[in-house]
Amino acid sequence: METGSAITWKYPSCVLAGDNSVGEFYSVALTNNLQQADAGTKMIHVGKNTRSTIISKGISAGNSKNSYRGLVKVNPKAENARNYSQCDSMLIGDTSNANTYPYIQVQNSTGQVEHEASTSKIGEDQLFYFAQRGISPEDAVSMIISGFCRDVFNKLPMEFAAEADKLLALKLENSVG
Amino acid sequence: MINPDAKTILSVNDLRASVDGTEILKGLSLEVKAGEIHAIMGLNGSGKSTFSKVLAGHPDYEITSGTIEFNGKDLTELEPHERATAGIFLAFQYPLEIPGVSNREFLRVAYNAHRKSRGEDEVDVFDFDDLIEEKTDVVKMDLSFLDRSVNEGFSGGEKKRNEILQMALLEPTLAILDETDSGLDIDALKTVAGGVNQLANANNANLVITHYQRLLNYIVPDYVHVMCAGHIIKTGGKELALALEAKGYEWLLEEQAVTP
Repeated sequence: METGSAITWKYPSCVLAGDNSVGEFYSVALTNNLQQADAGTKMIHVGKNTRSTIISKGISAGNSKNSYRGLVKVNPKAENARNYSQCDSMLIGDTSNANTYPYIQVQNSTGQVEHEASTSKIGEDQLFYFAQRGISPEDAVSMIISGFCRDVFNKLPMEFAAEADKLLALKLENSVG
Repeated sequence: MINPDAKTILSVNDLRASVDGTEILKGLSLEVKAGEIHAIMGLNGSGKSTFSKVLAGHPDYEITSGTIEFNGKDLTELEPHERATAGIFLAFQYPLEIPGVSNREFLRVAYNAHRKSRGEDEVDVFDFDDLIEEKTDVVKMDLSFLDRSVNEGFSGGEKKRNEILQMALLEPTLAILDETDSGLDIDALKTVAGGVNQLANANNANLVITHYQRLLNYIVPDYVHVMCAGHIIKTGGKELALALEAKGYEWLLEEQAVTP
């Protein structure tokens, strides 16, 4: 979980050297105000029957720029490599920025690589729906963001997941309305 | 049910409102008392949906003159979520999908927000689960819908029933049903109407916005108002809706010498 410095460059990565080895990257990256983040991961498939999973959730608020940059590399001798990548971006407000730069380099024809990406925005109409049911804009944003990050939070140890929601809410204070 | 001694819940006086600088409501006046069901009909573009959004406090709409009083207090001073906890409920014409947020959670947070505004304690997850499962009976909704994301993948009829479920839970003083019947087959219509009728009592009121007389066979109105060009041009009893069905709007526009 990343809430950044002013500028963040970070690519925690896995080299899947052993046969049947598995690499997983689950990330929620939040940028706000004038922060810039260029972060992601590298999954390098070397051994046989390797697997990697990437689930990246980027949230951009304020005037920030949040970029996902990820590499999935399947080396020539990496037989039966499999990868699944999902990069979702959430934009809050009118001036934030989100980008996705996936790099896929497959040098073995038995490799299977899947990539999905989505972009969404917390719209005024969604906030109005919450408001009309009595839920304040701050609580609404918090609920929508929690829902957005659920896939990643479910992978975290419980003690950390409980804090994660609160940390996001804190960092997003005053970002809406 | 009309009771002359009933309390006035909503009082709208000469309301003018615009969106993006264009005036849509042009002097609308309306009074709704407890226990009453009012139907609002009118051509597309007459301002019916705009009226419902202005009452709910949608930020896109600006009130340029006129007043709205809810339970005797100026409604325009309240933010949308405050109007909701004060007792106003809008059943949307096109309910939005909210991916990632479960129906159950959404309903629980809304319910607790209402309780908090009344100074009551919030209910915990377990008590809430008992309560909401009872309410799903009102709209004959399967419990499995509660664990899906709000309105995600719901059919038109299911979305409208979900709106009425929320209404059953939050028990508003004034419920505004914005074209709740649009897109519904006859069975869904009967279920929705049945839910609304079950919830209507002597202390609350319903504003039913519709194009079609058919819904009013099931939700029988005390008053029918016809809107045109941003204000109400005629008010009558339920026979007015039947006359409109038989003769069309042309007849009424001519009678009132109005152009839409």
